[in-house]
Amino acid sequence: MDSFISTFHIDLKIIIAQAINFGIVFAVLYFLALKPLKKIMAERTGIIEKGIADAKENAALVANTQKEYEATISKAREEAHAIFQAGKADAEVRKAEMIRMAQDEVNRMVDQGKKNLEAEKIKMVDEAKKEIVSLVVSATEKLLADQADISTTEKTIKNIKKA
Amino acid sequence: MTENNTIKNPIANTEIAPVASTEITHESTLYAEPIGHVGSLTITNSLFTTWVVVFIVFVISIVIKFKSKLIPKGFQNFFEFIIEGAMDLADQVTGDKKITARVFPLAFTIFLFVLISNWLGLLPLGGFGLVEHGEEGLAFIPFIRSGTADINTTLALGLVAVIGSNVFGIVSIGLWKMFNKYVNLKALGEIFTKVKKDPTILISAPIMVFVGILELVGELAKVASLSFRLFGNVFAGEVLLMAMSSIFAYVLPLPFMGLELFVGAIQAFIFAVLTLVYFTIAAQDHDHEEGHEEHKGEHMHA
Repeated sequence: MDSFISTFHIDLKIIIAQAINFGIVFAVLYFLALKPLKKIMAERTGIIEKGIADAKENAALVANTQKEYEATISKAREEAHAIFQAGKADAEVRKAEMIRMAQDEVNRMVDQGKKNLEAEKIKMVDEAKKEIVSLVVSATEKLLADQADISTTEKTIKNIKKA
Repeated sequence: MTENNTIKNPIANTEIAPVASTEITHESTLYAEPIGHVGSLTITNSLFTTWVVVFIVFVISIVIKFKSKLIPKGFQNFFEFIIEGAMDLADQVTGDKKITARVFPLAFTIFLFVLISNWLGLLPLGGFGLVEHGEEGLAFIPFIRSGTADINTTLALGLVAVIGSNVFGIVSIGLWKMFNKYVNLKALGEIFTKVKKDPTILISAPIMVFVGILELVGELAKVASLSFRLFGNVFAGEVLLMAMSSIFAYVLPLPFMGLELFVGAIQAFIFAVLTLVYFTIAAQDHDHEEGHEEHKGEHMHA
């Protein structure tokens, strides 16, 4: 054993010194390099995992929004269609009413026109009658001025007036 | 070495042909050469190299500590790549992420410490050293000798690994179980409690006690195997390089330098992996496993 120790120069102090050196290396490496690096790596992994989770959540949100959008659009289309149909029906009703009102107005105007025409006609006939009577009287007076006596003439005039 | 016709047997450290000369000689010795003293502590060139290792690791650690960012670049990227790869490898060795998380820092430190020590010894710093008057004239003593080319360093590392694994075992499975692993009092006690039920225990219990003693011897063997394997490989590499240099300096050693770089990395890797294995074995509760096996057997019978 002694020859072994002397051959290899085994020295307990150097062994302890080397063990202390190793301990220093371990402490330095652990506290200054491995621990902070592990922390940073864990932090990064956390951020990446959160990013992936957020991306998945966002994708789900987008899909959900798309569904909602499509549902809203579909509902809006249905509502628009219903409104259009209601408007169309309402317009039809109004159209019919307006046509009827216009028809009535036209009828009323036609009636009024007819009445006016009739009144005008009567008035014209009356006037024509008066004019004819006057003309007949004048003509008769001229014709019979010399031939007929006044009484006959008066009788004739009265008959004409009665007629 | 043969720089001045002096030939020395590096293994036995005996002079074959002593020649009085004023030329500077450099011999590859089995032990690290002293380059100074601090009190009663002899500072060897291998101890000095280890301090250089401490300094290098300190600088690397400081750079990582203060330059690390969330988005890695350059050196941080490389270091993270190494650490992640090493963690995956350690996971494969231990088979348990919890054990890996606890043991990895020590195993990685061993790897880095041994690797840098091994590679520092390969640095071509021929003129960086002391010239001293020796028994055979002037002798050159280099400041840099691979830290692991000194048995004191490898012994220290082996002791750290083996003692560390036992401490880890105590922390993991308890002091009583670890104690019984080496001094199997439990098996001895079972002789008295189970002898009526199972008389074969009279044979099996002493065997278990002997196995415990073998385990204890095995722990010493672990220290020896770890330290001598590393020392032997690195020292042999240095001797090989010196031999090649003496045949054809500057050119012939080059391929062997490449080989030694590889050997240095492999030896660091082996030391670290064996440390991981020892820690993993120490953290396993054999009684618990045996209990499981018995339960399985009972279930099978049922």
